[in-house]
Amino acid sequence: MASVKLTNVKKIYDKKVVAVHDFNLEIKDKEFVVFVGPSGCGKSTTLRMIAGLEDISEGTIEIDGEVVNDLQPKDRNIAMVFQNYALYPHMTVYDNIAFSLRLQKLPEDVIYNKVTNAAEILGITDYLMRKPRALSGGQRQRVAIGRAMVRDSKVFLMDEPLSNLDAKLRNQMRAEIILLRQKLDTTFVYVTHDQTEAMTLGDRIVIMKDGYIMQVGTPTQVFEMPENLFVAEFIGAPKMNIMRTNLRRNMNGNYCVTPFGSEIEVTGFKNEELKALNARDGEIILGVRPEHITLTENGGPNTIPVTLEVNEMMGSELHLHVYTEDGTRIIVRVPTVDLDPEKRCSLVSGKKLNITFTGKVMHFFDPKTERNILVKED
Amino acid sequence: MRKYSDVEYLKLSKSKRFLYRFLSFFAGIPGAVWGFIKKIGLAVKGGVSAVGNEFKDVFTTFKNGDWKTRLSYLIMGFGCLARGQILRGLLFLLFEIVFIIYMVVAGAHWLSLLPTLGTKGPSVEYNAVYDQYVTTYNDNSFKILLYGVLTIFFIIAFIYTWRVNVKQNRIAEGILKSGKKLKSGRDDLRSLVDDNFHKTLLALPLTGIIIFTVLPIVFMILVAFTNYDGSHDGYYNNLFTWVGLDNFNTMLSWEAAGGGQSYAATFGEILSWTLIWAFFATFSNYFLGMLVAMMINKKGVYLKKVWRTILVMTIAIPQFISLLYVSKMFAKNGIVNGALLDLNLITKPLPFWEKAGWARVMVILINIWIGIPYLMLIATGILMNIPADLYESAKIDGASGWQQYRKITLPYMLFVTGPYLLTSFTSNMNNFNVIYLLTGGAPTNSAASTAAGSVGYTDLLITWLFKITTGPEAQYYMASVVGIMVFVVVAVISLIVYNLLPSVKNEEDFQ
Amino acid sequence: MNKKKSYSPALVSILIGVVLCGLVFGLLFLVRNTLKANDTGIVQMAQTIGRKIVDPYPINPDHIGAVLLSLLGAIMLVVGAALIISGIAKLFEAIAENERNMMSYVPGALMLLCGAVIAYGFAKALLLGVTRFSTEGMYVHLFIDAGILLIIAALLIGMGCSRLVRAQKYNRSVKIYGMPPADVNRSMGLKASNLISGIGIHTLLVIMSVVWLIPFVCIILQSFRVETAMPVGYVLPKTWGFGNYTGLLKTDFPKWYLNTFIMALVVAVLQTIIVLCMSYVLSRFRFKMRKPLMSFMLILGMFPGMLTMIILYRVLKDLGLTQANAVPGLILVYIASSGMGYYVSKGFFDTIPKSLDEAACMDGATKAQVLFRIILPLAKPIVIYTILTAFMAPWGDFVFARYISMNTSAGMNVAVGLNSWLSLDQINSHYTMFCAGGVVVAIPVTILFLCLQRYYVEGVTGGAVKG
Repeated sequence: MASVKLTNVKKIYDKKVVAVHDFNLEIKDKEFVVFVGPSGCGKSTTLRMIAGLEDISEGTIEIDGEVVNDLQPKDRNIAMVFQNYALYPHMTVYDNIAFSLRLQKLPEDVIYNKVTNAAEILGITDYLMRKPRALSGGQRQRVAIGRAMVRDSKVFLMDEPLSNLDAKLRNQMRAEIILLRQKLDTTFVYVTHDQTEAMTLGDRIVIMKDGYIMQVGTPTQVFEMPENLFVAEFIGAPKMNIMRTNLRRNMNGNYCVTPFGSEIEVTGFKNEELKALNARDGEIILGVRPEHITLTENGGPNTIPVTLEVNEMMGSELHLHVYTEDGTRIIVRVPTVDLDPEKRCSLVSGKKLNITFTGKVMHFFDPKTERNILVKED
Repeated sequence: MRKYSDVEYLKLSKSKRFLYRFLSFFAGIPGAVWGFIKKIGLAVKGGVSAVGNEFKDVFTTFKNGDWKTRLSYLIMGFGCLARGQILRGLLFLLFEIVFIIYMVVAGAHWLSLLPTLGTKGPSVEYNAVYDQYVTTYNDNSFKILLYGVLTIFFIIAFIYTWRVNVKQNRIAEGILKSGKKLKSGRDDLRSLVDDNFHKTLLALPLTGIIIFTVLPIVFMILVAFTNYDGSHDGYYNNLFTWVGLDNFNTMLSWEAAGGGQSYAATFGEILSWTLIWAFFATFSNYFLGMLVAMMINKKGVYLKKVWRTILVMTIAIPQFISLLYVSKMFAKNGIVNGALLDLNLITKPLPFWEKAGWARVMVILINIWIGIPYLMLIATGILMNIPADLYESAKIDGASGWQQYRKITLPYMLFVTGPYLLTSFTSNMNNFNVIYLLTGGAPTNSAASTAAGSVGYTDLLITWLFKITTGPEAQYYMASVVGIMVFVVVAVISLIVYNLLPSVKNEEDFQ
Repeated sequence: MNKKKSYSPALVSILIGVVLCGLVFGLLFLVRNTLKANDTGIVQMAQTIGRKIVDPYPINPDHIGAVLLSLLGAIMLVVGAALIISGIAKLFEAIAENERNMMSYVPGALMLLCGAVIAYGFAKALLLGVTRFSTEGMYVHLFIDAGILLIIAALLIGMGCSRLVRAQKYNRSVKIYGMPPADVNRSMGLKASNLISGIGIHTLLVIMSVVWLIPFVCIILQSFRVETAMPVGYVLPKTWGFGNYTGLLKTDFPKWYLNTFIMALVVAVLQTIIVLCMSYVLSRFRFKMRKPLMSFMLILGMFPGMLTMIILYRVLKDLGLTQANAVPGLILVYIASSGMGYYVSKGFFDTIPKSLDEAACMDGATKAQVLFRIILPLAKPIVIYTILTAFMAPWGDFVFARYISMNTSAGMNVAVGLNSWLSLDQINSHYTMFCAGGVVVAIPVTILFLCLQRYYVEGVTGGAVKG
């Protein structure tokens, strides 16, 4: 069993600067958890506290039920892959991977078996006698993983391992990490600033900002039910469109929003939820993802008139940057596969369009607390 | 004068801008000085409050501690022993025992004599048995001072260890109360190669430094307040004793000493030459070395390695050989004069070392000869590190070679080597070898020599120190005073420059 | 409306240069011939002219060379004046046009310089009549002056050629394109200016190398002098021999050498260890007293080292480690305080990424294992640098060694010992042996340095400057 439990963990520098506030998280055995967030949000610091490279100012961290606050990194039975790989430059790949095993004074043939096994899994058997400087970025990445693999540790920590690779290699390595996870079958804690990596790799995602946890959930949960505005904007590319508008009931007793002078009714189950909540009329922050906005032919009720500014051709879809009458910018994703060629040619700068969206894709956030009003606090 | 905003500043003409910067520099000085004083005040306050905190901690630990802790105040290490930390407890106890034994056997004795530095000098008595005068040596002022200072060090170390002992007790109590285990002796030993590896590694070097550097310096500072010299060596001749600030008064007095120039005038002369020398030595080497490095580094120069090797070779040859030989080369009957005479360019030998002005210029020139290879190495290394695209974009913008030098190379070099310039300046101020081996301080400054031994026109403060020490009177106390003055001058200069250095201010500009 | 650049200035400059060359060679030829044949008509004429020019000053007519020399001086006067005037004119021209390009000031400055040099020649020519000179000196004068004139001629020719090239380029461009070439402001063509600056730089480098090596060449030469051991005014020995070197063996020199060698070896090893310990700790560990410790050592370093000499001597004396036993005493002094020289090594260690330490920690290494297995193999350059500097130090240490050995020859190191040979009473019998001793000391150290030069350079540039 290799669960990791962080309770009220805090990291304070110089008695003044608080890098991590009150971090609480339970990571189950064999789970793949991703810490994600912008630079400086404290995700690397938390990872390093789990590893033992940073002191824990307050709180406890338990690995496998044992409190490890005062344990050395080597006694915690964890392995780590660093952002810049940290391979020992003067040793060969074989020696790099074998280093920790040699420190444990294992016999050489055991070491040989372990190292060659790991090398086979990672596909680096041809490079075993090379020095790190003769390897490419991706190969060094694999050696770093190999070094961590042979330790048979309970928890596998990875600190932004893909950020030094170019885009194509990054995609490739992402798939390999998923395969690796299936082979290794241990607990993974992964830190990244890229939300795509977080969504594809993680069983659960921990979104952090300025040392606070913003939300913990599965990729589906954080995508469909963001708990606050930050998470809503962070997850998903392009960003969710945010509009400051008003919520009120219309004549039928249903809720509707009034962005930019238009009135759009909240249809579907969201309406019911709002009614159940007995949400008050007033200011609201409305969020709608670009892929959920559709173009309609004519104006009228439940539409917003906009003007097209920029048309980005992404291949399988168009990203239309439009702006409303009062200048707010909105992005709309339109798949190209069913798009009429005539229609596509007409989508030039300055073209007037109408957009609409249904109730089930709307997200409502309180203007003051920025919390999603439809998600219960716990 | 008011501060201009950026836009207004840019509108000014070049001369107005210069005037503005000039005036604002002077306007900023009072602020800077006040800020400095405030910094000192804060530091003092911080120090005082830290000491206060220590005392408070000692009291509260006693108040809140259990009986084991309280007993440890008297018997060091008791708390550790009682709680099972045998190794630590034994070490503390051992230290206390050694200290007490030392104080009883020797320490108290030396301390008691410290205020007077001995009272009984050597006495000559007539011994009837051997029918001659026999000298008995009694108190030894030197030993008294030395061991007295050692004892004081020991006492300080003891107080510190006692304090650590008290803190240990408090921490141990806290650990036990929260239910955790104390570290055993084995854990301690293991941590010496891990967490506390730094203590292991630092132990020997720091001990060496304390015994062989700190102790002598403290001793010599104290000597400045005595009259320790050749005739008062504290044992064989007379004892020496405290004279308070007398020596400093002598050094800074303007009255004539020994029938000639006053000490203060001599000191002033030597100090000003030292500063001038340090300035020229440092900057001439710096700029010329940089020039040479750039020259060799230019594209299209062949055999770069050969030129560098030839110049670098001169670093390898021990300085005493090169300097002694060069000084003989330029002597009255030396090679240079001989060659010039032969070529009939002169009739009499040139007074390279005989005239003050000539000697000073020669010293600076020869120092350039010695120093350029070293500076060239450093400059070469830095030049290679300047990112090439800075130059490329400058070239595209149309900058000429000279402009590139002024706007890219020079600022970068100055930034990187700023601290180095400072250390180079201060080490040149104390550059004994070059001056002593080349001239020995000659030509002699007869007016100044009346004050304190033979002083020359090329003497630095430090060669003067050496001469005072090895002179006939061996006025060690004067040497100490000079040494302290040197320290004060160097420290003041370092402080000012360090706070003005662009490296300190604009650290982000180059990153 | 682009004027054609005329070729005349360039051609004139070349012409003057060629004429000058011709004059110089002609006069040299004349000198050679007059020395062969004693009496020719031209010589008489030269004599008369020379007498007229230098008449106010007594001159020995037998010295034909003197006359010709004065003639040469007169020519130099004319040329010099011309160059000075034209140089000043060119400079004013460039200043008046507010030339931005530095290169356009060069021709004027060069001319001015040459003119000044030549003026010197004129002054000398006059003075020659007044001062006495020897026959050999006269020929040296002759050749120096001729040489200077030739250099000027070469410069003139060179400048003329480059101007020619530039004018040609200009005219051709005007003819073909109707426009002047883009590079109008450069006073010399790119290749030509590179060539000239290249020649200039190389000449300078050669001169510098000569100047830097002269003292050592002189020492080596003088060490072979056997006719007298006194310091004399000439360099080349009249009689060569190994006498000085063999004489070294008879003095205390071998003892000094052995002393210094032992000291250097021991200090090299021990000091390296201590310095590396210190700099590794200060670079890698962050503990409470770290910054105060570094400031403290900085302040300690501001005290002149000599201050501690006196008391260290007394302490060592009580321990019996002075005078004849100075070697162990000095070793103790050197290594005890060597921890203060951590600066360069620390700078180097700072460049090794800390993530290597962390990775090794995760792999299970103690801090000690990290030092020995990871950091030290990577620190080879700085280790060698430290060993090298530690080894070289005792060879040159003068003050401490002298004070602690206190006039006892058995305890001196080479520096003190050799210096004692230069004292007033010993210098006349030991000067050449000093040179020989210096060579013997310098050669092994230099060879070692040259072999390890790479590491020294890396250490200086890497560690010394980063901090």
